[in-house]
Amino acid sequence: MTDYHWLLIGILAAAAFTIRLTGLIAGNAIRRSRLAPLLDDLPGLIIVALVAASLAGQPVLTWLAAAAALAAAWKTNNVVATMLVGVAVFAGLSMTGF
Amino acid sequence: MKRGAIAILPLAFGAAIYGFAFGILAAQAGFPWWGVAMMSGAVHAGSSQIVAVEQFSGGSAILGAALAGAALNLRYIGIVASLARVLQSLPLHLRLLAIHITGDENWALTMAERAKNPAIGAAFLLGSGFVMISVWTASTALGAVLGASLPDLEAFGLGFAFTAAFIAMARGLWRGQENILPWLVSFAVTGLLVMTGLPKAYAIVGGTLCGLTLATVVRQRRSAGE
Repeated sequence: MTDYHWLLIGILAAAAFTIRLTGLIAGNAIRRSRLAPLLDDLPGLIIVALVAASLAGQPVLTWLAAAAALAAAWKTNNVVATMLVGVAVFAGLSMTGF
Repeated sequence: MKRGAIAILPLAFGAAIYGFAFGILAAQAGFPWWGVAMMSGAVHAGSSQIVAVEQFSGGSAILGAALAGAALNLRYIGIVASLARVLQSLPLHLRLLAIHITGDENWALTMAERAKNPAIGAAFLLGSGFVMISVWTASTALGAVLGASLPDLEAFGLGFAFTAAFIAMARGLWRGQENILPWLVSFAVTGLLVMTGLPKAYAIVGGTLCGLTLATVVRQRRSAGE
């Protein structure tokens, strides 16, 4: 491993932790301010955005599997059950050559 | 802590698949397996590591490669900020440890479980985080050792498991009608930004900020109407 490899790890680690630390400081400041309700909104909004990013531009098969996962999530409110249904529908549709 | 460690296992299995893939990429960029493990343990940010190593092997300057990777992690400002209440009871050293071992999966699972049971908190986050960072570190190192001899597990649809898991976690955080518009905006803006070619990580930040703005407006209107 060259000096460049070490340097990349060092800078990346420092930058990643600085971003997390910024979040910690910002979160504490927001918690004590009138913007505190934002902290309740953030998790759902970020997770929905993560789902959108993984579905955008994907084939119909992926969207159908996502719809099945959503139905399972709605019904069960359980992460593992939703994963099982989602992956089963995805694999099933793939195998039928959808 | 044990509860979080067990609950995160299905997601850790999914993360291991990406870990293997990243390990292969990093080995090709000249990192030994222990260097890959060191990076994964010290950085603990999958998408950042992938982009930084891609840029690095593509001949970019070190600082540019590292900053391009780190910038992809900007959503962690929001993710960690949202943990303010969860972490407030912890001493500073544990808080710093907790934010380092926080990843998308264990954060989202903690928040979704906490929405169902308010007793879930820092211990759950720490337990699930320890499992995630351990699995991530080990799987990336293993990918670097075994290289391309591993089968392409993504082809079996296992990559979709993450999407399904996040859908379930969103369900856990659903609080009713007030969420509809902000969530739709976050979803639509993120999707549109990805479709325009923006890297997913930036699209997520953009979509979240638009949703957050709308959520604030909705709340202000509601309190003004009361």
